[in-house]
Amino acid sequence: MTGTLNLVGYGLSAIGPAIATGMIFAAYISGVARQPEARSVLQPIAFLGFALAEALALFGLVLAFVL
Amino acid sequence: MAMKDEGNALWSIFGYLLSGMLFWGGVGYGLDQWLNQGYFLLIGLLLGIGAAIYLVWLRFGRE
Amino acid sequence: MRSLFRLSGEGEGFVPPSSNDFELPPVFGDNAFTTKPILLVFLSVILVSVFFLLSSRKAAVVPSKLQFAGESIYSFVRNDLGRDIIGHEFMRFVPYLFTLFTFVLTNNIFGIVPFLQFPTMSRVSFPYVLAVFTFVVFHYVGIRKQGIVKYLKDIMFMPGVPKPVYILLTPIELATFFLVRPLTLSLRLFANMFAGHLLLLVFILGGEHLFQGVLGLKLISPFAFAFGIGLTFFEFMVQCLQAYIFTLLTALYIAGALADEH
Repeated sequence: MTGTLNLVGYGLSAIGPAIATGMIFAAYISGVARQPEARSVLQPIAFLGFALAEALALFGLVLAFVL
Repeated sequence: MAMKDEGNALWSIFGYLLSGMLFWGGVGYGLDQWLNQGYFLLIGLLLGIGAAIYLVWLRFGRE
Repeated sequence: MRSLFRLSGEGEGFVPPSSNDFELPPVFGDNAFTTKPILLVFLSVILVSVFFLLSSRKAAVVPSKLQFAGESIYSFVRNDLGRDIIGHEFMRFVPYLFTLFTFVLTNNIFGIVPFLQFPTMSRVSFPYVLAVFTFVVFHYVGIRKQGIVKYLKDIMFMPGVPKPVYILLTPIELATFFLVRPLTLSLRLFANMFAGHLLLLVFILGGEHLFQGVLGLKLISPFAFAFGIGLTFFEFMVQCLQAYIFTLLTALYIAGALADEH
């Protein structure tokens, strides 16, 4: 069996952003559920946090292909 | 609908990040090949991520 | 990038399923247009047409079971995907969304129907063609609605940014709208179907191989089969979800093209 270790590395590096995205949206959902009027305040924060976490996941993906 | 905003925003954020990285990373990769250097790819990727996050902030972050 | 999992043919060890399992030979003779995926696409067209013709033929105020099934699928697409997302002009797009949803759903579910058992969308050309349709539709709608200059200007120039920054942002916006959107749309569907089918193959073929082993392995093989059956139900969920997401994203793109500022 042949292959490249890059994919294993990408799999490992995707764990962190996955957990981060889950935590961000868990907090967002429970915040909106407790206080629906806080939604417009929470939404940009949640999206920016999602963008930052997702950027790291995509960075790993791209580096797994180009390195 | 409530769900519509979130769903739309999440897919767009993903698309922006991916295309930012692909475009500017691709430019960096091309410069690397052209000038025989090794660091333009990294610069391009970081620039792409930065620009894409800025774009996400412009579209979804400022209210 | 070399191929990810090269199979070693030596020995009589277990040959894990790979992407080679997706390249099926022609069914009738040498005609390359009669492979299994193509026949399945034709079958899905026939199935969908016959089902909805039958269910809508004798439309009554008190619906029969068949009519109820057809109408609930239609009203799901019309209300949840069309009206709630596209807004007041949604009726123009309902036929396209409905065709897309039923077509993709039927072709996905072929992956777990006994004896057919091949999700058509795990050959990447089919999702590509569907994504090209969506691409043409949403750009055409946007250009018709706003005029080509205003449409492109809305895409390329985000308001409220100092001018030099546009050098950085405009290529990203263009790449998102013209490249990444159709690409991710098709690849998401393809990758889900491909991975799901591969997963089922691993468990069923692996269980079969374990069953041919020594006694200890024979005892394990029922667990592999049971897990395969459990995963079949999981796959059913994924297949419905992917058909929904494909249609949902099409509706979102159309809605974005119709809106004045995206």
